[in-house]
Amino acid sequence: MKRNPLIIVVVAVVVALMLFIGIHTARRSGPGSAAASLDIKGHAAPEFALQSLDNKTVHLSDFRGKAVLLNFWATWCSPCKIEMPWFVELQQQYGPQGLQVIGIAMDDASKEDIAKFAKDLGVNYPILLGKESVGEAYGGVQFLPTTFFIDRDGKVLEREFGLKSRSIFEDNIKKALGRGQPVQAQK
Amino acid sequence: MGVTRKLVASLLSLVAAVTAAQPMPGPGAARVTFAPPAIVTVTRGKPGTVTLNFRVGPGYHINSNKPSSEFLIPTTLKLDAPTDIVIGKVSYPKGEDMSFPFASGEKLNVYTGDFAVRVVVRPLHNVVPTKYAIHGNLKYQACDNAACYPPKQLPMSFEVKVAKGAETAPRHNPAQSPHAHR
Repeated sequence: MKRNPLIIVVVAVVVALMLFIGIHTARRSGPGSAAASLDIKGHAAPEFALQSLDNKTVHLSDFRGKAVLLNFWATWCSPCKIEMPWFVELQQQYGPQGLQVIGIAMDDASKEDIAKFAKDLGVNYPILLGKESVGEAYGGVQFLPTTFFIDRDGKVLEREFGLKSRSIFEDNIKKALGRGQPVQAQK
Repeated sequence: MGVTRKLVASLLSLVAAVTAAQPMPGPGAARVTFAPPAIVTVTRGKPGTVTLNFRVGPGYHINSNKPSSEFLIPTTLKLDAPTDIVIGKVSYPKGEDMSFPFASGEKLNVYTGDFAVRVVVRPLHNVVPTKYAIHGNLKYQACDNAACYPPKQLPMSFEVKVAKGAETAPRHNPAQSPHAHR
């Protein structure tokens, strides 16, 4: 079979170009962006073990059977301050139906400062001290607030990046409460 | 030859598609940029001021050097000068009190757009007159109207040219001064 040298040249050029673009993109994106592209919606929520403000080790699996609103936040995040009072209210409203709000502080601030911040906002749900590895497991939490809605079976139902309206959170909570089998949670 | 043309066209379409599909700048993208100033000449033994110009990208804001809450992270510039060049006062601009959709009723003191930080640089008397590079990092924490990004360090550098300056009259021996204590 006779091969046209032009085709070989064109293929070589195109492959080289695509390789260049790929390498350039990988360099520009960095490791965090690769993680950000990981979409865990519809997948099992990654397990974690994090320390709470009262020095207890808390696992996500402790809340199996509950709908979990998992909120990544930080003391330096002004939009987070808007959401957190909503979460306090939503915890009160939907807690009896099986909602558990969990805050993960992605902060360099001291535990005392985080506790003061949470207390000032009247937080009535567990605040855990975040680790980068947990953020990475959740797809790379590169901006805050970022909130995940996990159904009773431990599956990520929805995630919201940035400040959203209270009604969006409430709708997602209702969906999370309605899905999965309610079981007696350990906590 | 028709097959060749079709193949070339297909491959070029593929390249175009791959290029078009490149992601937009993600959360890791720089939200503050630095425009290095022209080389500033400073005279040995005398202070000189260097103006450093930064730009906050459209749609973003960063906290000023004196943010309105203890929990907010201030913008700060850390400089590392060569030996015998002293970094003096770093003057930050006043921020602008702005309201944001996420902070109703609360004004945040922020920088947006262009802002300049002024730095006093004083080469000691014994510095060899030549150009010196001064390196540093601007620490900032940016937000847009709905989300905040982790604190970031922007590496930056600028050059100063140290001039010998006019020869001054011979100095009195300090030991002979009536005000000298040692």
